[in-house]
Amino acid sequence: MPATVQEELSTEDRFLQAFEGLSDEAKNGTVEAVQGRRRRAIEQFEALGFPTNQLEAYKYTNVAKALRHEYRIAPAEAAPQASTEEVEALLLPDLDAHVVVTVGGRYSEERSDVGALPNGAFVGSFAEGANAHPDVFDAHYGQYADFESEAGDPEQSAMTALNAAFAQDGLFLYVPEDVALDKPVYALHLPSAGDEPLFAQPRHLFVIEENAEARLIEMRRAPEQREHAPGSFTNAVREAYVGAHGHFDHYIVQDEGAGASQHTTFDAYHETESVFDTLTVTLSGDLVRNNLTITPAGEFCESHLNGLYLGSGEMHVDNRTIVEHAAPDCVSNQLYKGILEDDATGVFNGRVHVHRGSQRINAYQSNKNIVLERSAQIYSKPELEIYADDVECSHGSTTGELDEDAIFYLRSRGIPAERARAMLLGAFARDVVESVRSEPLAAWLTDEVGARYGAGQALGVGS
Amino acid sequence: MSTAETEYLQAKADQEYEHGWTTDIESDTVEPGLDEETVRLISAKKDEPEWLLEWRLKAYRYFDRLTDERDFYPDWAHLDYDEPDFQNMSYYSAPKEKAQYDSMDEVPQELLDTFERLGIPLEEQKALTGVAVDAVMDSVSVATTFQEKLEEAGVLFMSFGEAVQEHPDLVRENMGSVVPYTDNLYAALNSAVFSDGSFVYVPEGVTCPMELSTYFRINEQGTGQFERTLIVAEEGSYVSYMEGCTAPMRKENQLHAAVVEIIAEEDAEVKYSTIQNWYPGNPETGEGGVFNLVTKRGICKGDRAKISWTQLETGSAVTQKYPSVILKGDDSVGEFYSVAFTKGHQQADTGTKMTHIGENTKSTIISKGISAGVAENSYRGLVKINEGAENARNFSQCDSLLIGEECGAHTFPYIEVGNPSAKVEHEATTSKVGEDQMFYCHQRGLGEEEALKLIVNGFCKEILAELPMEFAVEAKELLAIELEGSVG
Repeated sequence: MPATVQEELSTEDRFLQAFEGLSDEAKNGTVEAVQGRRRRAIEQFEALGFPTNQLEAYKYTNVAKALRHEYRIAPAEAAPQASTEEVEALLLPDLDAHVVVTVGGRYSEERSDVGALPNGAFVGSFAEGANAHPDVFDAHYGQYADFESEAGDPEQSAMTALNAAFAQDGLFLYVPEDVALDKPVYALHLPSAGDEPLFAQPRHLFVIEENAEARLIEMRRAPEQREHAPGSFTNAVREAYVGAHGHFDHYIVQDEGAGASQHTTFDAYHETESVFDTLTVTLSGDLVRNNLTITPAGEFCESHLNGLYLGSGEMHVDNRTIVEHAAPDCVSNQLYKGILEDDATGVFNGRVHVHRGSQRINAYQSNKNIVLERSAQIYSKPELEIYADDVECSHGSTTGELDEDAIFYLRSRGIPAERARAMLLGAFARDVVESVRSEPLAAWLTDEVGARYGAGQALGVGS
Repeated sequence: MSTAETEYLQAKADQEYEHGWTTDIESDTVEPGLDEETVRLISAKKDEPEWLLEWRLKAYRYFDRLTDERDFYPDWAHLDYDEPDFQNMSYYSAPKEKAQYDSMDEVPQELLDTFERLGIPLEEQKALTGVAVDAVMDSVSVATTFQEKLEEAGVLFMSFGEAVQEHPDLVRENMGSVVPYTDNLYAALNSAVFSDGSFVYVPEGVTCPMELSTYFRINEQGTGQFERTLIVAEEGSYVSYMEGCTAPMRKENQLHAAVVEIIAEEDAEVKYSTIQNWYPGNPETGEGGVFNLVTKRGICKGDRAKISWTQLETGSAVTQKYPSVILKGDDSVGEFYSVAFTKGHQQADTGTKMTHIGENTKSTIISKGISAGVAENSYRGLVKINEGAENARNFSQCDSLLIGEECGAHTFPYIEVGNPSAKVEHEATTSKVGEDQMFYCHQRGLGEEEALKLIVNGFCKEILAELPMEFAVEAKELLAIELEGSVG
């Protein structure tokens, strides 16, 4: 069944063929909400194909080009495993959390340690969650990352459709009305070991109901002994629903090492007076493209979108954000910062869309980049699309190298050049890191940034 | 929104186009339709040399290939309009009495009346402002003044057609070098069927003794106008060129697809200013109105060259233009100052492209968009720093002001940085007129409209200050007219 792909087929055809070769279990093994969409999804994908840079939304990132490998497309029959030691080594120090682990896009029951949950809450596998809460899936699955919706950007729906056709497993987080998770959820995503490049398509659904609260920290890591087979590709789709007065913090760290690529789609929808906070940190990877769409659909919502990308080597990182202000009296704030060296390419394309009638919106968007080497490149495209007059919206974008005057100042105070550079870069990243409401994560990020730019613990910044 | 502001809006939307009328001058118009024959006919009518005909034909064939494709109309801009039918347009129209006037007395009275109604009496302009006016009535230049004075300085300022006859080498060498006919659909169309336009040549070391200005008008019913302007500024020269336009009221949409090319050699400076106030269409329905789809680009060829675009766009149903600068020479400078005012059903998608190639190149972009009624106003701009553009510097600021609940204001900047020594800053804001600002004005005894006028004027001040003195007066007047009727 794992379809071995043939050379003469086009990339898209390989996926179409793999879809037809799916086992009955893979096709029908889950709830109606998921399986009922598969056929339409693959048809939609067939019509659109992989995004190329002919599309405005993918102008600087050619996903189709990154897909030259022969992937194992179909889901593995059994969940691949990771050892307890591996998982323990990748936990955050001092973080008391409900721990969930996926390996190669499949939920690992053995390695997860969810522990006790408040009444009615669910933290665990997507496949299992679907069977346990079919009504929740009916109400929310495919509603936000909706490949069929015309309101969505058709340019963006190809990857979502492909995911919807193959989706089997991932995470499911469900926090019912008036329940607050006492501890954050720590989700560790590991690659499956092996030489064959895997095209994984995890699917995650987070439902935080009215007046509920949750915090999720996701880490995509690839430890040394478990490197990705070169060319591995992950096409992940996340959906989040936050009910009225709800609060959801979502942080994700992408650190999979060179050779692995990923395309993530995250659609979040939140209701009246809710807070949605998300941070995307990209530390490594070959090609990383993140599509983040947030729709504050009720009044008095607060949305925060932050990002930090540290590019090196041949890395290509592209963050596309869309904030759909569909309701009045909301606030959105985004800050994306990048440091690029070697031959890395950074892309930021943010769009704030204030719908007609959405008055009194305050929306801010900021993208700041530091380029350390001449071979690195930055493409920045912040957009404002505004159809209401009583608003305050602004965006800013800056790109430059490290300020020589600042380095000179530090050196004149007796600080060596290397350390001065590290201090300044640490300070640059700091306001993004500080937006994190989880101290163990903020501390870990500070160390990562410090270590990356050669200061280590001696940096004295943020510790 | 306060009542006064709402009424202001209402009044603004109700306002009729001031310059709506048609002049009755006998015309020599080619039948609608476009094929190779049309191109040959235009070329023959203008008595053009063989090489130019060949060039037109190449452009036409490229255009023809383009239009064979499906969805050949460029549709990426934030604009929504009926695409022009190229076979349903007439491509040539010239006033019949095509005489070379030696003095103003010989110019037909009708034409002089035309300018009078526009508020631009030629004689008065001559006397008061010292501006040479190359009046383009439809497509062919009919009145040229101050020629002698310019000749003294060695500056060539004439219609494109004349330049082709008198200075073919200069034209041949430079036309199409900044905007090739392959640039886009409308540039290809213009290259194939351009009727006339202006040509300016400033020799080495010469500072042009006066501001050059051309008034374009679209006059013939159903005729697209395809001007072509070419400005060549040799080493160390300076010229300021002004372009202002109005058009008569009419029903069907009119296409205006001009091409402007500027070449600035070492140490040369070119300043290009535009006031555009063409018929914006029916303010209630959006019917009619001019499609202003223009390609404007300049190149700073030599070191320390400077090109500056200033524009005040208040007219046209659809405006799509991106006056651009290619900063090739080291230390060269590009500037773009723009006010775009849209109301009624107007749509504008305008901005600039700054391409940094040389070292220490600088560009400044200041764009102010004002949107009222159900208008859509977009800023779209590209700042591209090439790998070799060491120490390039860009500053962009794009502010949008929204007046009314149903308009839209959008900002789409593209920033591409390929050299780390570059410093690129972009900033944009979108908001309505601040209540605190209004309050402050009220508190000082200013009425609703006066306050709004003051604030809007302040909002645009930076740009208007960039216009040459002669133009600034007209620009201010135009903005005041746009803002009139706002007294609550």
